[in-house]
Amino acid sequence: MESKKHYLIVTNNPLVVECLPKDYALDYEEISYREVLVKVRDLVYSGHRMYTHPLSGSVKPNETPYKSIVVSREPKAMDLSEAEIISNSIQTYDKFVPCSRVFTPQVYKDFQLIDYTLLCGALDVDAVAGLSNRKI
Amino acid sequence: MSYRVVHYINQFFAQIGGEEMAHVAPELRDGFVGPGMALNTAWKGEVEIVKTIVCGDSYFAEHEKEATEQILSWVEAEKPDLFIAGPAFNAGRYGYACATICNAVQEKLGIRVLTGMYEENPGADLKNKVLMVATTNSAAGMRKAAPTMAALALKILKGEKLGACVEEGYMPNGIRVNFFEKERGAKRAVDMLVKKLNGQPFTTEYPMPSFDRVAPNKAIKDLSKATIALCTSGGIVPKGNPDHIESSSASHYGEYCIAGVDDLTAETYETAHGGYDPVYANADADRVLPVDILREFEKEGKIGKLHDYYYSTVGNGTSVANAKKFAAEYAQKLRNAGVHAVIMTST
Amino acid sequence: MKLELGYIQINDIQFSKECKVENGTLYVDPDAVKAFMYEDDDVKDWVKSFKFDIAKPGENVRITPVKDVIEPRVKVEGPGGVFPGVISKVDTVGSGKTHVLRGMAVVTAGKIVGFQEGIIDMTGPGAAYTPFSKLNNFVVVAEPKEGYENHKHEYEHAVRIAGLRAATFIGELGRAVAPDETAEFETLGIREGLEKYPNLPRVAYVHMLQSQGLLHDTYVYGVDAKRSLTTIINPTETMDGAILSGNCVSACDKNTTYHHQNNPVVAELFAAHGKTLNYVCNIITNENVYLADKQRSSDWTAKLCRLLDLDGAIVSQEGFGNPDTDLIMNTKKIEQQGVKTTIITDEYAGQDGKSQSLADADPLADAVVTGGNANEVIVLPKMDKVIGMLDYVDVIAGGHAGSLREDGSIEAEIQIITGATNEMGFNCMSAR
Repeated sequence: MESKKHYLIVTNNPLVVECLPKDYALDYEEISYREVLVKVRDLVYSGHRMYTHPLSGSVKPNETPYKSIVVSREPKAMDLSEAEIISNSIQTYDKFVPCSRVFTPQVYKDFQLIDYTLLCGALDVDAVAGLSNRKI
Repeated sequence: MSYRVVHYINQFFAQIGGEEMAHVAPELRDGFVGPGMALNTAWKGEVEIVKTIVCGDSYFAEHEKEATEQILSWVEAEKPDLFIAGPAFNAGRYGYACATICNAVQEKLGIRVLTGMYEENPGADLKNKVLMVATTNSAAGMRKAAPTMAALALKILKGEKLGACVEEGYMPNGIRVNFFEKERGAKRAVDMLVKKLNGQPFTTEYPMPSFDRVAPNKAIKDLSKATIALCTSGGIVPKGNPDHIESSSASHYGEYCIAGVDDLTAETYETAHGGYDPVYANADADRVLPVDILREFEKEGKIGKLHDYYYSTVGNGTSVANAKKFAAEYAQKLRNAGVHAVIMTST
Repeated sequence: MKLELGYIQINDIQFSKECKVENGTLYVDPDAVKAFMYEDDDVKDWVKSFKFDIAKPGENVRITPVKDVIEPRVKVEGPGGVFPGVISKVDTVGSGKTHVLRGMAVVTAGKIVGFQEGIIDMTGPGAAYTPFSKLNNFVVVAEPKEGYENHKHEYEHAVRIAGLRAATFIGELGRAVAPDETAEFETLGIREGLEKYPNLPRVAYVHMLQSQGLLHDTYVYGVDAKRSLTTIINPTETMDGAILSGNCVSACDKNTTYHHQNNPVVAELFAAHGKTLNYVCNIITNENVYLADKQRSSDWTAKLCRLLDLDGAIVSQEGFGNPDTDLIMNTKKIEQQGVKTTIITDEYAGQDGKSQSLADADPLADAVVTGGNANEVIVLPKMDKVIGMLDYVDVIAGGHAGSLREDGSIEAEIQIITGATNEMGFNCMSAR
């Protein structure tokens, strides 16, 4: 596993901003799940390494609006298999019927929680400890 | 009232003759002819073949456009509920004709179609567009093919939902349909593995998408001495499209001289491609076929030379078989011309 | 390692003050089950209440949202106890004798996260897609204490333990009952197997475990699978509950605890053992989010296949998307070791069936068994009775806007049905 100073977390999940330890570099924007995938694809194409799977979680991409993906902070050399994984993920995203639902605020929080927890699992960060820092 | 069907068959199945009669032009007959009888019998009066169109295989191959127009006009006049062609078994030109004419009938007239042939028949290239029953490779399979086609035709006519291809007997057409097998998945997996281990044939339930991967050649050691050619499936042609390359399902490619051309402009080049918005390609065709940049590289000495000719076709619905044929031809030309490497652009 | 399973057929469940199994009927006192569940501190801390219900095959009943399905079993001879490392001590299980209450299950239900999912219809078109419509189900609906919104991890754990405890309590009632039928399952040592079946191909089962995080976890002897390297386990250990589901997402292709206990690949490999193949062992490997973990785990899987001198392996999957990459990595690397594979997966080919089914692919995966297209749309008619709650149906996987219709029917993709496209090959459903 790389040291955390090599990581850049591309995310649209506000809970990640709130709860992940502050020494992780974040690229947070209020964009769609698909836009996160595309942003990561462009980073991978320009040589950033991708460390986590873009389709993490069995929550389908047309359900949850949140996505966090870990890439390298600095560009290295493009990794072909990672480029393939991220392109396939965008194709997979596109085959789901677009979601037009509006959820209750609690459901959005749950989606954020799942994405955050999966990210923590990948980074080996204590998810529960991070949550206890949260302003409730 | 029974459903009405128009049936297409070749000269052989109409008992006109074999290869020596393959030149006969299309003709229209009343009722069923030849294999149509087997279909009619299976339908027990629920469906009826009202007209049969007979056409020689060579005639269709050599006069595809005229034959198609003639057949379409007959079918249009008849307004059948369904158009059936074949089955063609392993007869290559017959299969091609069945698939092509079915595709035209469904696209141009909006009439539903059905054909049948052997899976390796070249006509089966269209299996994702035209519903096809998988038959054996010889006409001896008619006894099995006719009831399958008849049953499938009836389902289509009644607007019933089609089951999976293995249930209904049609060729896999890229549409995944659920159904219940007799054995559970784990048992099927063990059986499949045992067959695989014993070197026996087995059929995967999900064929992996086939990537026709080409192993890259060895890298060129010194680009500054290499002759580089440009090729494209993006349809870039001299203004006016002198070779009339089709906007989709291209039947040929073009060879064009760019000696002395430094830049493709809106006045001199355009795209023939009908599968993408042509505005940006027409405004500056270098966007698809980067002649300008390669000329710069040539001047800077980054590459030895840009080859004097480029090859272009339209990759929009063009069959893999055709694409392979084009490439094999012009690859030989490139080789004879001493080209070291090719940049192939797509859209 | 040899295990004898004694099957006690359960044809009916009835609430009663006295708890017993008699003539194929389970008599059970919900209050006694409740008391046993609350003996656990985490259950006490997080679960406000339990409601109990019974759902039988053919009844006009819908159970939802389903968390887990568990078969009650009890260890009557040999070391250890059921659900080792979680309910019983961590002793190695899989030998001796275990009684199985067959024909029934404990189903845990109730909301954990707002989009939670899983439907079991006991009748109607939906019943054909889930194996659990054929069982007599003892349903436990849990309700959280106030403030659980900020403690979902703890609450998920509590409900998981509660279900296992209910199954343990009920399984215990079969301890002294004479089984209707018994069966023996034995795995030989490597050399013994080789000597006994010198001419049969050596086959192992590569069992992929969901291991991505909250609501996506699997536990092996109590260890979170994402923290484990690929390893070997005896097939019979799974029958005693060594592998437990903590997975609540993607109802159609999650492996419930019941699936692990009754793993169909294990059953079919045992059935073929000594006849067409030599069933060597199970290899368990995870499906982590971190790409380097995937590489390490799949390298390890291939390495073990080679080390065990296998001729063939069956690879099963759990979940959607991310695990496709593990599946293909495992398959490719195992094949590259010269070990032939057959894989079991399911498909997300779009509602029209026209999209690419998997998120990853490789030509070496040339022998695939599929559990069907999870995106296929189905209409589930209204049921007279709902055990659990329906208010969230509009948000579960595969549901889409308006999926809970005014007449009470549900229009959704089959991925909302528990176990519909199981990737262990539990069902007959397939696709072409």
